[in-house]
Amino acid sequence: MTTTIEKPTEKVAERAPLLSVAGLTKNYVIGDLVTPVLKGIDFDIYPGEFVAMLGPSGSGKSTLLSILGTLLKPTAGHFFMLGNDLTEADERELTKFRNRNIGFVFQYHHLLPDFTALENVMFPAVASKLMDDVEAEVRATMLLNRVGLGHRLNYRATKLSGGQKQRVALARALMNNPALVLADEPTGNLDRESAHQVMELLAEINAESGTTFLISTHDPEIAKRCQRKITIIDGKVDSIETNPTVKQDVAAA
Amino acid sequence: MRYEAKVALRYLLSSKMQTALLIGGVGVGVLVFCFMSALINGLASYQIEQTVGSIPHITIEPREQTPKVLGGTDGTLILPAILRDNTQRSQIRAWQTVLDTVLADDNVRLAVPVVAGNGFITRGQAVQPVSITGVNPEQLSEVAAIGPAIIKGTTDLDLNGIIIGSRLARNLSIDVGQTLVIRSDRGGQRDVKVRGIFSIGVESLDERVAYMNFKAAKALLNLDNGISRIEIKLKDLDVAPALSASFAVSTGLKVTSWVEKNKRLFDAIQGQGSTGSLIKFFSIVTIIIGVSSALLLTTVRRKSEIGIMRSMGMTKGFINRVFVIQGVLIGLLGAAVGSSGAFAFTTLVMQLAVRADGSRVFPIDPSQGAYVAGIMLATVASTVAAILPARAASRVDPLEAISQ
Repeated sequence: MTTTIEKPTEKVAERAPLLSVAGLTKNYVIGDLVTPVLKGIDFDIYPGEFVAMLGPSGSGKSTLLSILGTLLKPTAGHFFMLGNDLTEADERELTKFRNRNIGFVFQYHHLLPDFTALENVMFPAVASKLMDDVEAEVRATMLLNRVGLGHRLNYRATKLSGGQKQRVALARALMNNPALVLADEPTGNLDRESAHQVMELLAEINAESGTTFLISTHDPEIAKRCQRKITIIDGKVDSIETNPTVKQDVAAA
Repeated sequence: MRYEAKVALRYLLSSKMQTALLIGGVGVGVLVFCFMSALINGLASYQIEQTVGSIPHITIEPREQTPKVLGGTDGTLILPAILRDNTQRSQIRAWQTVLDTVLADDNVRLAVPVVAGNGFITRGQAVQPVSITGVNPEQLSEVAAIGPAIIKGTTDLDLNGIIIGSRLARNLSIDVGQTLVIRSDRGGQRDVKVRGIFSIGVESLDERVAYMNFKAAKALLNLDNGISRIEIKLKDLDVAPALSASFAVSTGLKVTSWVEKNKRLFDAIQGQGSTGSLIKFFSIVTIIIGVSSALLLTTVRRKSEIGIMRSMGMTKGFINRVFVIQGVLIGLLGAAVGSSGAFAFTTLVMQLAVRADGSRVFPIDPSQGAYVAGIMLATVASTVAAILPARAASRVDPLEAISQ
């Protein structure tokens, strides 16, 4: 089977990569049993890209996202983000880096149930003292308006519907204006309509603000909306394809 | 810290029942702590008051005659021999100077010169041995708490007066106002009139003790130049041992504090104190175990939230503080509830647990509840109890928590 590797358009590739993955491997070790999950992953993601990561269950997508999100250490290889070799950083540096530069959207919203929608969105900025209360409230309100929840600011997370919770989670991921948003099956728990709304929103925000998205998904419909598709099979990059139907030169980096 | 406190408070408020139970648990621990303090300290004060109220805090007596060492005649051989010199009467001769020295000390509330000796009371054919104590009439109540024990007559001790115990009065078939003859073991004799009869309730005292006027007793006992002892009452009981050592040096006499004379009582009070401390210690341990186990359960319940906070870039320190602050808040609130409850409870016990004669069943003293110590210890205990759950929470693997 031949591996297809398509570079992004020249205009996109002119920029320095936001994320550069080189020879990344991950083995899980249980006793004497070593299970290789990632077997040498290489790819670049450029600022402003909207990239889908596809692959069957067990192919290593979630493990790769966890490593890129600095929640898991790779066994070997390197990955660079904004010029930093994150495989070399210690936990304290990674915690700070994660707060400032990476947003997460998971399959499950993981909102803090005792806090309102507004407080949930403000949380990453205020709790880390990146913004003061007023500044954070203004930005969080703006983001919740953007995801269509301006009328639910002071609703407890538990009082929101599944789709609304996921939109709050998206606003929270964007709160610290991250360079990269990692989304792991963001519509996996939603009904068709909510999934469609969330997906539209991700694409719109990418187009408006130039925030880079790497979205792990099984859903071919979602993949169709992305500029590039990275397919992982059995812990390796099987193909990287450019989607000719999607506008390639997205917002300025 | 502010945001950690906000999260901690939200967590506590979101599980109101668990929080109320935790605060209640800490409160009960503090209540036991303060109740035991009020009981043990109250009991100790009561025992000391009962004992020390009727005895001197410091007693100055003549120095014991030192054994003499007899030397060999050739200058080389020493033959030691222990001979107690009983040829001299034991008395404090320059007692007025000693009294002035003692009274000059700020810690001394009162110093009473006392003469004491043995004698016989005769009435007709009846003869009864007595222990004579001579004291200035106005200082009698300081030497002996017989005021409330007087069952007949008064405590007025004029030169010809005597106060005797009820059993002695019965043995001699004598009553207030009647005259009797008292003889000392030094040959003195005097006619005295019974002014008062007391009943302390201790057979030996009610049968053997007689109080006389200081001057009359001095003459009767042939102690013209000296006295038997000086009894001292202090402003603060606790300085007695140190002050008695100081008086021993300054006067060169035998000085004994109430602590030495009541070692058993002192040991018993200390024993009570240790038992109380043990109970208080376990009440604090209970707080630690209760708070710690409840917060550990919270960390398990909140695992995914802790995970998401970590993934959002909150440090381990942040998570740690969220749980430690919960411990502090539980401790403070529990301590407030427990200490105020303890004060109310001890006051209630003090007021309600009263015998028919008006005496208290428990010598409990609400003012000695050690509330500040209870509040501080409970808060510290609750904070310490939160450390283990806080560490467990901060060590939650965000990836594992999120994947749940």
